[in-house]
Amino acid sequence: MMMSKKFNRRDFIKASTATTASVTAVASGITLTTFAASETPVTNEKRWGMLVDTNKLSENDIDNMVSACQQEHGWGGEIHSTNEQKPAWIKNIKVQDKATKKITNLPLMCQHCEQPPCVDVCPTNASVRRADGIVLVDKHLCIGCRYCMMACPYDARSFVHENLTEQKEHSPRGKGTVESCTMCVHKVDKGEQPACVASVSAKSDAVIFGDLYDSSSNINQTLKQVQSTQIRADMNLNTGVRYSGI
Amino acid sequence: MSRGLIILLVLLLNSAFAHSNSHSLGDEANALRAAGKTFHKSISAIRKMHPELLKHKRDKTLRQGIRTDESSLKGCVNCHSGKNDATGNYHPINAKDQFCSTCHQQVSVSVDCFACHRTTPSQATIAKQNTAAEPISTNTFTAEEVDKKGDDDE
Ligand code: HEC
Ligand code: HEC
Ligand code: HEC
Repeated sequence: MMMSKKFNRRDFIKASTATTASVTAVASGITLTTFAASETPVTNEKRWGMLVDTNKLSENDIDNMVSACQQEHGWGGEIHSTNEQKPAWIKNIKVQDKATKKITNLPLMCQHCEQPPCVDVCPTNASVRRADGIVLVDKHLCIGCRYCMMACPYDARSFVHENLTEQKEHSPRGKGTVESCTMCVHKVDKGEQPACVASVSAKSDAVIFGDLYDSSSNINQTLKQVQSTQIRADMNLNTGVRYSGI
Repeated sequence: MSRGLIILLVLLLNSAFAHSNSHSLGDEANALRAAGKTFHKSISAIRKMHPELLKHKRDKTLRQGIRTDESSLKGCVNCHSGKNDATGNYHPINAKDQFCSTCHQQVSVSVDCFACHRTTPSQATIAKQNTAAEPISTNTFTAEEVDKKGDDDE
C-alpha cells in the first residue's frame, strides 16, 4: 500500500516551471547555492487517514497504543505538571451508549480534520494543515496562546508547562508551546506507519493507516465496506481519523 | 541589515571565529576532517548563512515534509557534538564552549532552538556512528569534489 517516494529529482526539476535550484548572491560577494530539494513537497493527491475498529481493540491494546506514542515522542515524563497539565497526545477514552449503557473504549487523538478549527483560530499560522491532510503545530511559530486548545472539539492538544531535556531527536518539544498527535509525520514521510498503528498491526488489523484517496489502499477499501463514523460528524470537519464499531 | 554591518560581520567571522582548535568542531566532524573529507560546500557560507539555511530548512520540513539531510538541525547536532573524554557522555551541543556556543558566546547571540531540539546524538545515532567504519554522512566530499558539487547542484 505504500507510496513510492523515490521520485527522480531531475524529472522533478524538469517538471517544475520555476526551477528550485537557484543561486543567491550574498552581499559580501560570495555566492550561495541552494539545493533543489531531493524530495518533493507533499501534495493534496494523498490524504492520510486512520480507521480504528473499536470492536477489535482491547483496552490493553489501546494502552499499548498510548505507550507506543509516548515512547516515540517522549511525552508522559513531565514531573512538574499537574494531572490536568500533563500532555496527552493520545488517550484511552470510554464512551457509553445512553440507551444500552454499552461501554466502548477508543483511542482518541488529533482527528486531522479537513476543516480544522485549530487552524482557523491560530493567530500566528502555527497551526497548519499539510497538503496531505496532516494537522500540525509549527512550534517555531507557536506563541503558546492556546486558542487552538479551546477550539478543538476533541481536546486533542496539550500545552507543555515545564522545561524538558533529552527530547527525541525527531520530536522536538519544549515549554510554552502547544503540541498534539503528528500522525508520526516523521515516519510517514519515510513511508512508515505511525507508532500507535504499528503497535497493534503485528497482532491485528484493528487500526489501519493509509491514503484515504487511494482506491487500492486497504483503508480506502475497508471504508467502502464497513460502516464507520467520524466523531462529532455533526460538525462537518471531515476528519482523517475514522472509527468503526461505535 | 545595512551593508556596512554585513561587511563588518564578514570580517569578524572570517578572522575571529575560525575554529583553529579542531577539537571544538565535534567528534564526527573531526573524524571527517581527519579522513580528509569535508561536509559543507563552503565554510564561509555555512559560517555566515547558517541561520537562514536552518530557518529555510525548518519551514520546508514542517510544511512540505522535505526531510533531506542538507541543513538539518538534527544533522548539525549529530556531527558537531563532542564527547566528554572522561565520562564518555556527550556534552550538550549548546553548552558553554561547545560547537553551537563558541561563536554565539562571542557575538552574544542566544538561540532558543535547544529548548525543544535534542542537544546530543540519540542512542540510536551513536550506535550507528560507533559501528560505521567511516564517519557517517550521507553526503561528504573530498575537498576536490567540493568545487564539482557546487556546479552540479541537484
Ligand atoms: C518550541 C519547540 C521548538 C523550538 C524552540 C525550535 N524548534 Fe525546530 N522543530 C520543532 C519541531 C516540533 C519540529 C518538527 C520535527 C519533525 O517534524 O521532524 C522542528 C523541526 C525543525 C527543523 C527540521 C528538522 C531538522 O532537524 O532539520 C529544523 C531545521 C529546525 N526545527 C530548526 C530550528 C531552529 C534553527 C530553531 C531555533 C532558532 C528551532 N528549530 C527551534 C520544534 C522547535
Ligand atoms: C556530516 C557532518 C556535518 C554536518 C551534518 C554538519 N557539519 Fe558543520 N562542519 C563539518 C565539518 C567536517 C566542518 C569543518 C570544516 C570542513 O572541513 O568542512 C564543519 C564546519 C562548520 C562550521 C565552520 C566552523 C569554523 O568556524 O570553522 C560551521 C559554522 C558549521 N559547520 C555549522 C554547521 C551547521 C549549522 C550544521 C547543520 C545545519 C552543520 N554544520 C552540519 C561537518 C558537518
Ligand atoms: C563560526 C561561528 C558560529 C558557529 C560555529 C555557529 N554559529 Fe550560529 N551564529 C553565528 C553568528 C555570528 C550568528 C549571528 C548572525 C546574525 O545575526 O546574522 C549566529 C546566529 C545563529 C542563529 C540565529 C539566531 C537568531 O536568533 O536569529 C541560529 C539559529 C544559529 N546561529 C544556529 C547555530 C547552530 C545550530 C550551530 C551549531 C551547529 C551554530 N549556530 C554554530 C556564528 C556561529
